[in-house]
Amino acid sequence: MKTNNILKEINTSGKPYVIYKTPKGFDLFTNFSKKIILSRNNIVNFLKKNNSNKKKLKKTDLHIGFFGYELLNNLININLPKQKSNNFPKGIFYKPETLISLNKNLLYQPQITERKISKFKININKKIYTRIFDKFKEKIKEGETYQIKICTKYKNQSKIDPLDFFCRLTKSNLAPEAFLIKDKDYSIISCSPETLILKKGRSISTKPIAGTLKKNKLLNKKKALEYFKKNIKETKEHNMIVDMERNDLSRICVPGSVKIEKEKKVEEYKDLFHYVSLIKGKLKNNIKTIDIMKSMMPGGSVIGCPKISTLDLLNNQEKENRNIYTGSFGYIKFNGDMRFNIIIRSILNYKDISEISVASGVVIDSNSNHEFNENFIKAKALIDLYK
Amino acid sequence: MIYVIDHKDSFTHNVVHQLSLFDRVECANFDEINYSKLKKASTIVLSPGPGAPKDYPKTNKIYKEFKGKKKIIGICLGFQQILYAEGAKIIRQKKIYHGFQSQIQVISRNSIFKNNLKFKVGRYHSLKLKEPFYAENFDITMRCVISGSAMSFENKIDKIYGFQFHPESFLTINGNLLIKKIISA
Repeated sequence: MKTNNILKEINTSGKPYVIYKTPKGFDLFTNFSKKIILSRNNIVNFLKKNNSNKKKLKKTDLHIGFFGYELLNNLININLPKQKSNNFPKGIFYKPETLISLNKNLLYQPQITERKISKFKININKKIYTRIFDKFKEKIKEGETYQIKICTKYKNQSKIDPLDFFCRLTKSNLAPEAFLIKDKDYSIISCSPETLILKKGRSISTKPIAGTLKKNKLLNKKKALEYFKKNIKETKEHNMIVDMERNDLSRICVPGSVKIEKEKKVEEYKDLFHYVSLIKGKLKNNIKTIDIMKSMMPGGSVIGCPKISTLDLLNNQEKENRNIYTGSFGYIKFNGDMRFNIIIRSILNYKDISEISVASGVVIDSNSNHEFNENFIKAKALIDLYK
Repeated sequence: MIYVIDHKDSFTHNVVHQLSLFDRVECANFDEINYSKLKKASTIVLSPGPGAPKDYPKTNKIYKEFKGKKKIIGICLGFQQILYAEGAKIIRQKKIYHGFQSQIQVISRNSIFKNNLKFKVGRYHSLKLKEPFYAENFDITMRCVISGSAMSFENKIDKIYGFQFHPESFLTINGNLLIKKIISA
């Protein structure tokens, strides 16, 4: 069947489904035989389950879904203070019975429905943002953090067709970790660019992004690299993340096996250049799925550094639950292999309310005006889908 | 065996991996120390970490207890913790270095490293040693070429060593050699 027919059929069937970007196109997962709603009480058991050493593996022998930010904190024994919350689940995984490969050109004619979309509102205005920014900068001077990301959230009321949004998003930004979850009461539409964990057998890698440049006619890959190299602030931020990811891999890898495979390279996407590094290691023999999660999540590049003290600073500052933002989406196969991303550049639509969270980094030489606007630019790419 | 006291930093396990090239390594958070293991260690390493030495009275106590009895190595915060325990003041820097590669130089004839030798190293510190500083048997042996800030000390009598920079960072060229020399000193 052609991709556009498959999409039309799955969307009209009313069945929950997941679409995840692959190097060649997309994978569509559906016919879920199980849906596991995660909490801090069952997450350890859930991760243990995915540890069987099954020899013959079917393509659908996996759990696919997401861990929210709070759950990833709980996993490393960090408790969040009481925050405003819409009670969206902390994590959800599905066991699919069907996997269909789709090509990269997703075509879909949205069903004509009445569009009800209200204007987006931001949860932190510029004045409050600047106050938080100045406070964190002081913390940097005291040495409590070296880099910290302030998160802002945009919300509106909207009934949307998630598949339509996702297909349009893949046209404007074909991100390597893009995914869509459509379930009865919620959907997540994402153009995440960042791979947090890629594990096959005992080999594991992570590919942090620190540094993004919007394309224009004058820029090419070479010039983008020159820009990043000359920009001392971007370089320092990136260096910090590389050392932090080396550290997180070192917790679970054989000493001497952690290597920087690609150091500060530019990758070209449809609209953007990303400054990325690729770090690889070989897992120690006794490492379990849960050890990998605890060591690598939440992904450091979107939190700041050092991870624990920076998470404490963030959590005490934020009044509203992050939900999926800076959590991780991906799958764990029944043989323990896995792929997970970092949930950024994503829309959560739950009970007809859409939320888009964005963050940008505070380091010693960043400027609050610039970072506040940077946040808006990141959100705008998603907000524009509502036009 | 080397016992690494982790101040919940995001670079400590790079230190652990680097030390593992030379000896067996144990590592625990500063508030979860296993004393019987610590007592068996030949070397104690104080890890990097957030904040200032005054935030870690437990580490301060361990340092004072084992000074002179075991080799002690401090990295970044660990470097500051040792100096603080020796009476130094640790103060804010005007210019802050996080994720910064800079050049440092050996400035002492007494160093186990060759005098005037230059290194490229990675730095992650907001605070620094206030100078002048004096403590018995402690020599400042390396300085930043540009700012002159203290980058390492050596106390050969008690076998105590410290680096303000990060020998385990990918920004430090030949970091393994630096650590090897200290471990075998």
